[in-house]
Amino acid sequence: MAFYQYSWTILFAPLLSFVVIIFGTRMWDLASRSRMAAGNGAIHVYDDAHALDHNTHGDDHADPGSDDDDDPQVPRLTTGARLSGYVAVVIMLLACIYSWLLLLDSTGALRISGYTLPYSGIDIFNYSWASASYLAPYEIRFHVDHLALAMMVVVTSVSLLVYFYSQGYMENSAGYARFFSYLSLFTFSMLVIVFAANFLVIFIGWELVGLSSYLLIGYWINKRAKPDEDRPQPATAAMQAFIVNRIGDVGFIIGIMILFWKTGTYNFAALSGTGPQSVQAHFAGNSALLTVAMILIFCGAIGKSAQVPLQIWLPNAMEGPTPVSALIHAATMVAAGVYMVARTFPLFVASGTTAFEVVAWIGAITALYAALVALTQTDFKRVLAYSTISQLGYMFVGLGVAGFYNPQGLGPGPGMFHLFTHAFFKALLFLGAGSVIHNLHHATHKEVQDMRKMGGLAAFMPITALTFLVATMTISGFPFFAGFYSKDTIIGLCLQSGSIALYVITLGTAGLTAFYMFRAYIVAFGGKGGKAFGLWGSREIYRGEGTPPESPLTMTIPLVLLAIASIFAGYWFGLFNYLSPTAHNISLNDLVSDPFTWLGVVVAAVGFACAWWLYGFVGLARVHDVVENNALLRFLHRLTNRKFYLDDLYYWLTKYIFLGIAHIAAAFDFSIIDGIVNGVAFAVTGLGKGLRHTETGKVQSYMYGIFGGIAALAIVVFVLMAFAQGGVKLW
Amino acid sequence: MDLIHPTLTHFLVLGAVLFGIGLYGALAKRNAIAILMGIEIMLNAVNITLVAFSFYNTVKPYSTFLTGQIFAIFIITVAAAEAAVALAMIISIYRKRSTVDVGEINLMKW
Repeated sequence: MAFYQYSWTILFAPLLSFVVIIFGTRMWDLASRSRMAAGNGAIHVYDDAHALDHNTHGDDHADPGSDDDDDPQVPRLTTGARLSGYVAVVIMLLACIYSWLLLLDSTGALRISGYTLPYSGIDIFNYSWASASYLAPYEIRFHVDHLALAMMVVVTSVSLLVYFYSQGYMENSAGYARFFSYLSLFTFSMLVIVFAANFLVIFIGWELVGLSSYLLIGYWINKRAKPDEDRPQPATAAMQAFIVNRIGDVGFIIGIMILFWKTGTYNFAALSGTGPQSVQAHFAGNSALLTVAMILIFCGAIGKSAQVPLQIWLPNAMEGPTPVSALIHAATMVAAGVYMVARTFPLFVASGTTAFEVVAWIGAITALYAALVALTQTDFKRVLAYSTISQLGYMFVGLGVAGFYNPQGLGPGPGMFHLFTHAFFKALLFLGAGSVIHNLHHATHKEVQDMRKMGGLAAFMPITALTFLVATMTISGFPFFAGFYSKDTIIGLCLQSGSIALYVITLGTAGLTAFYMFRAYIVAFGGKGGKAFGLWGSREIYRGEGTPPESPLTMTIPLVLLAIASIFAGYWFGLFNYLSPTAHNISLNDLVSDPFTWLGVVVAAVGFACAWWLYGFVGLARVHDVVENNALLRFLHRLTNRKFYLDDLYYWLTKYIFLGIAHIAAAFDFSIIDGIVNGVAFAVTGLGKGLRHTETGKVQSYMYGIFGGIAALAIVVFVLMAFAQGGVKLW
Repeated sequence: MDLIHPTLTHFLVLGAVLFGIGLYGALAKRNAIAILMGIEIMLNAVNITLVAFSFYNTVKPYSTFLTGQIFAIFIITVAAAEAAVALAMIISIYRKRSTVDVGEINLMKW
């Protein structure tokens, strides 16, 4: 019991490292730099904002400060900066070990505490924030149960590996200590969501991850937009992510308010209760309102998990550093929406099937849309961003289908299972992409993310290529990799539920996934003329400049560890039953003996074969020519490459509709509101200008005023008194 | 012949007439010293009224007090001080502007 009670230390560990870095090592770092500058008598202020000549370092940046992910300004890290990284990594390592021990203990794989964590979980922290006699108290309450433990392991493990990786990736970047403080703040915020025991706390965590996401997307504060690559400025992308998330959060908080209004409590445990205290009882006769509330709550997940129609921010969020993309915008934060739906699963069940159908359909549409868009993206990280959106769509399909088809028998298992496996392989994909970008930067001194400038990279960086290949096979659902189990479970579930449309969409998306992921892999790491029929690269087919090296050990170790996790994370077959006491586990036998599973594999294999044929044998240049010379193909290519013009539509809406309304409102404010205020002031001024002429300066005229006034008052008083006495009696 | 015994009304009428005369002087005269004299007449009209009210008061215990008379003495004192200040100002203005015509003195305006 105590073993679980102390799990709040995991929650506060990243907060501790945040505080230590912000107030300790970073301060020391900044202080030691200025001492160094003073000692040398030269101006060497290595600050976050730097503007020194890059050309002396062989860099050909268009303009200084436009590209500061690898900054020759900071030749080596100071001790204080390095220490910041060590603090974050060591604290996270301890937290990670503790969370794994908790998970293993709670599954029964490892008996440490001798205590069986009940399915309802235990409260680990409770602080009454505010209370009013007639309302339930507002509690900062943290809670640990099986669902939280499963998610916590994902968060701490991926965080640890990303922290470790960032030591290599960010070594030349300005603001190294700041980066680790933001990462720590993010992990803390994410764990707040994981441990939240009521809607209030989950909403606080929800906004905190939004904040840290904003800080980390906009981390490179001096970087400019790259219009020729269709890439926005990081600061703009951060703003967009923040604002789009707020749109979803409006729905989220309204949903929370409806629930609180009807039930008078925020607590998940109380809301999931049965009998007269159940949600159905509170919403008796008004179940449509409960459905509306749950759909509104799901709106928060749509924003946070970048589902259609709020998907636009996630690809732009790729302007942040790649470890950030891996941790926040692939593995954990964007999965918070899925976790939140899994957390409120009993409420969704109580609201009936409509909300689940909305969840499933939003997920399916998103999965298909993002996969189609990913087909033609040329930016390495954007392919991965769209694949993240697509896979998050799968998770929502898993949750939704399980919910409306068989909530008792499945629980949130399918969605959470895919979340669990996806976190590892998607983090691996992003870290692999980061490794490529990092090494290409060393070779070309430019930030290369365009896959057309890569090719054959496997010959230069075999570890990165191999681990990326593993992740690609996993996400494509190759048999016996993690993605195979989690994704084919969801696809099979769609078929079992009888919703053929969902089945066709998810199955087709699986084929598309295999295609675009292998397209990305082959275009970047292999290519026509490479070894193994284009699957493995060679030095001759590299289309860029210079000779990229392999990444340092700080970067390859996390890659290898994640590759192992990407294969074996799918073997936790007990997850369904672990999460929900009534759920049946997946059976490997059933899965393997089901012909439809193999249909999914065949579809994925077709996608893989197409990608291999097109990019391994036909070649990128030839494919490009064919597409450009065929009107239909060109149209389709443009359609998906421009994201079905959804981004342009939003841009248009923002520019003409929202800004139009804003202009009208501003005009109303300026003319009517300010007009009233200024008009009153103007009238008073004018009146004063007129009246001041009565001030003659002559003392006798004032005297006339005084005595005339007294006389007038006297007459008035006299007349009034006369009337009060009922008539004029002068004498 | 019988002396006419003055009543309160007589004094009040006297006070009112004097006040009116003083007010006319203060308002109509252009000479600052004449205005000052008008003001003095008004003050003395008020003094008469106060003393008369006090003298003819029959309401106990107020009739035993000399409130009105004391008021009048205060007013005479203040009037003396006021006259001194006002005359000093008039002399000062005369030195500056060579006139005591209040129509000419109009600095206190916008």
